[in-house]
Amino acid sequence: MTFLSELSDPAVFSILLGVLLVMLAAGLWVALSLIVMAFVAIALFSNAPEGLVLATTLWGHSHSWPLAALPLFILMGEILLRSRLSEDMFSGLAPWLSRVPGRLLHVNILGCAIFAAVSGSSAATAATIGRMSVPELKERGYPDSLILGTLAGSATLGLLIPPSIILIVYGVATEQSIARLFVAGVLPGAMLVGLFAAYVALRAWMNKDLIPDEGPSVPFMEKVKASRRLIPVMLLIGGVIGTIYTGVASPTDAAAIGVVLSLILAILSGGFGKTQFKEALLSATRTSAMIAFILMGAAFLAIAMGFTGIPRNLATWIGTFNLSPYALLAVLTVFFILLGCFLDGISVVVLTTSIILPMVEAVGIDPLWFGIYLVLVVEMSQITPPVGFNLFVIQGLTGYNILKVAKAALPFFFLLLLGVLLITAFPSIVTLLPNAMGN
Amino acid sequence: MIRRVLDGLYLTAGWIAALSILFICTIVTAQVSLNILARIGGPDLSFTIPSYADFAGFALATASFMALSYTLRMGGHIRVNLLIQRLGETPRWLLELFTLALGGFMAGYATYYAASLLWESWHYGDMSTGIIAIPLWIPQMSMVAGLGLLTIALLDTLIESLLARKPILSDEGAE
Repeated sequence: MTFLSELSDPAVFSILLGVLLVMLAAGLWVALSLIVMAFVAIALFSNAPEGLVLATTLWGHSHSWPLAALPLFILMGEILLRSRLSEDMFSGLAPWLSRVPGRLLHVNILGCAIFAAVSGSSAATAATIGRMSVPELKERGYPDSLILGTLAGSATLGLLIPPSIILIVYGVATEQSIARLFVAGVLPGAMLVGLFAAYVALRAWMNKDLIPDEGPSVPFMEKVKASRRLIPVMLLIGGVIGTIYTGVASPTDAAAIGVVLSLILAILSGGFGKTQFKEALLSATRTSAMIAFILMGAAFLAIAMGFTGIPRNLATWIGTFNLSPYALLAVLTVFFILLGCFLDGISVVVLTTSIILPMVEAVGIDPLWFGIYLVLVVEMSQITPPVGFNLFVIQGLTGYNILKVAKAALPFFFLLLLGVLLITAFPSIVTLLPNAMGN
Repeated sequence: MIRRVLDGLYLTAGWIAALSILFICTIVTAQVSLNILARIGGPDLSFTIPSYADFAGFALATASFMALSYTLRMGGHIRVNLLIQRLGETPRWLLELFTLALGGFMAGYATYYAASLLWESWHYGDMSTGIIAIPLWIPQMSMVAGLGLLTIALLDTLIESLLARKPILSDEGAE
């Protein structure tokens, strides 16, 4: 193998990347593709014993305490998904929003934000909220483009608003505190809700005929009565985030209590029995195994890449350009959006952490901030064709052509981009709360 | 007959994984309840479940590894199907055979080395570091079993797909 060791870094990197792309394109499962790429990297370009490294990495990255939050938060989402929560969302939020410019379109935004908090998955959020809100809004005569756009855009909040599955993945892969990442996602999440709502209000204000009339406002007590079923859920979310923020509970602790409380909530609200619980449990088992497998593959890849020295050299190489962090981020944003066009969010995150992170840290970017930035960019890729998952979900839900859905989602793509610019210009939007947390 | 046995095996492993997740939830909830008790009752009522974080971790490993084969058969592992969806049935079938064979090889390889890691842990008497020290080979058995089942599931699917002359796994379309 002597000729291999004489290859330059860019050549080695291109070969490895080529292996990965061929595996992925051929339809090999993402986790296995990562393992194959890492295997090739160690076997051909280093002297480490690849089999032993594989086994110790698989074992070492499968039983950590922070990672135990993953199946629990997924299970919590699966339980609430099967409860009556989604049905109550529309009737509970609608009375409060009928006088706001843009009216019931805000139900999509707020409903997604609340549901995103409990489910942590953007496709599930789009499907669950959309199933209730799309028929209602269409019947009342709201414009299609805004119904689809608000739904597609707001559902991506599921990735950012805690407890977020993808932030657990980032935290575990980069050994960042998951609690701090969760807390860091709160303000940017609220900011995006604000941006989306402002956009809808602006559109409504510019064109008075766009939004149908909703009749007189109902009295305050009626509103409270209509949304009484939402209150326990809001308390549940507040409790989960609050206990993590104050440090009373670790994310794993909060997740376990979250499962128990959401189970109680689901049973009390009716329609949730043994069958639903079994479905929720098995579905959570599959999703969590899928993600854990990818994380193990990514850990093996990160170690393999470490042996080849590529990420380090890549970082040094980037350093020779004297790029400002802004320039690097601009390049990365374009790169991630392209990558997101054919890879799912979790794969984008793990590939980033195993190859690109040293480069990012070398130019002095805070890895905590970068996690939130990365999630925002991944959110954008959820609503860009050809593989924006939210677009597929909404296509399946409404029967509209995917291009029509993508076009409706486009303004929200730009709003997310605006969000990225805002957190770049004002990093304290991300870091303010986690810094206030202390240790 | 063999089909029923194998499918039963995958499902059983899936249920072992599911129960492990419930175990994590139970042990963590129990410890949090004890923490709350300690806050209310003071130091006299302060209890800790010994090594509960270790046990939760080992249950997590069991949950992840044991569910691998079941998740594969249910189409729960994600892959990029942008390209393969556009192909005709025969090229898609050939690619599916290739990925199943390669995946089966890689999983088999991982199983072999996981088993030798387990053997080493047993041979050298490696223990976990918590208050209750457990021989590491015990929880590592779930890794070997889970990876072994994944290998079997990949090869099983390969044979099934060969006989059917078409791809037989359908993806769940998970995120």
